Amino acid sequence: MSHLIDYKNLVVTLSGKLILNIDSLSIPNHQCTLITGKNGSGKTTLFKVMSGLLKPDSASIHYQGLDMNWKQAKPYIQKDIIYLHQQPYLFDASVTYNIAYGLYRAGESKTAAHNKVMQALDWANLSHLAHRNAKQLSGGEKQRVALTRARILSPRLLLLDEPTASMDTDAKQQTSLLLQRLKEEGITIMISSHETHTVEHIADRHLHIDQGRITSLDHSHSEKVTVLNTSKYNN
Amino acid sequence: MNDISQASASAFQLLISGNNDIWEIISLSFGVSFSAILIATPVALVIAFLLAFFQFPFRRALIALFNTFMSVPAVVIGLSLYLLLSRSGPLGDLRLLFTDKAMIIGQIMLSFPLLVAMAHASFQAADRRAWETAITLGATPARAFFTLMYEVRFGLIAAVVAGFGRVIAEIGCSMMVGGNILHSTRNIPTAIALETSKGEFAQGIALGMVLLVLSLSLNAGVSLFQGKGELQA
Repeated sequence: MSHLIDYKNLVVTLSGKLILNIDSLSIPNHQCTLITGKNGSGKTTLFKVMSGLLKPDSASIHYQGLDMNWKQAKPYIQKDIIYLHQQPYLFDASVTYNIAYGLYRAGESKTAAHNKVMQALDWANLSHLAHRNAKQLSGGEKQRVALTRARILSPRLLLLDEPTASMDTDAKQQTSLLLQRLKEEGITIMISSHETHTVEHIADRHLHIDQGRITSLDHSHSEKVTVLNTSKYNN
Repeated sequence: MNDISQASASAFQLLISGNNDIWEIISLSFGVSFSAILIATPVALVIAFLLAFFQFPFRRALIALFNTFMSVPAVVIGLSLYLLLSRSGPLGDLRLLFTDKAMIIGQIMLSFPLLVAMAHASFQAADRRAWETAITLGATPARAFFTLMYEVRFGLIAAVVAGFGRVIAEIGCSMMVGGNILHSTRNIPTAIALETSKGEFAQGIALGMVLLVLSLSLNAGVSLFQGKGELQA
């Protein structure tokens, strides 16, 4: 099985406290990985490091056939990996502008961006929200707008932090459906969640993180999930 | 009471009749203060953002320094600048003393700490997810900075308005480094002080009215703008 990206010796300390200590983490291509863990176990920190938003103390990254340190890899991973917060942030503007934001940054013309946004809104059944101010949307609507905004940029890896947290049943179902469709499009997805029942049907494998260390809970797959931990920071 | 009424009526007449001296003073005042704010604001916003979003040595000391400089009297800034720009001072060769350029420098020094402190408070209160979202969606740090500024625009506009309010009405620094020279460095506050000391209340009141109208307009503008924001949110 091919891996999209491999992280090795990933260590993060914040204010002197060891937050992450991962010897090896490989993300298989076109698969959905579910990661569970208690609050404060390091899920969000892991996602922020993986997406290039947070600098680790150390990390070796193997991506697109190259071995790089975090600084070298940052431009690549920031281009190809999108991180969505637990409660996604939408800019104080229309839904259309929010979805087009990344396209404008990528240098798309206004007309091309507009056409893509309209198609994306249609894809997500959000056309009726196109001209609404994004700040006025419900939590479920915000999450779906954020997913659409991420999808339009064709990321290679989507990191979703608790995508169905604090949602009613209907919103959870709609978000879950969108996640399923994103996976079917071949986007590699990593989801952190407490509510495993809402997303586990999408997941191909299941990791668990505890005190910054990852273990596999995957018993159904034959491939070895390369998740090991060193003991040098254990104390 | 009659004197005040008469002076106020004369003041109105001076403004309406387009008295050259009065409008020249008003124009100089606005020109100097706008220039100072235009120069100070971009730098102050970048520094405020860096102080709010990044950790680096002496960061806390810098924040304390800007907060302290906010309350330094204008006349002290004027005195310091006077010593620097006077003929025997280290920058005397630039021959800037008693020019409008010296007044602009003085007003930059006055407004800068206030702009940094108020903008820093706005950035500090900003949702960090806005910055992270912009970056993860492919924005360059510069572009993400502009996005973040838009998200906290109400606080930043309030900072700029407060900075402008501080410099347009200050007298100490302008008097020290401008010298209150007619047709050259006389602005609204120094003119008010001079005319009042001569007993020419009409001109002083006319200029005071301009400041009052300016203050009301700025506050009304900011309130209107912030009100629209609250409705949208």
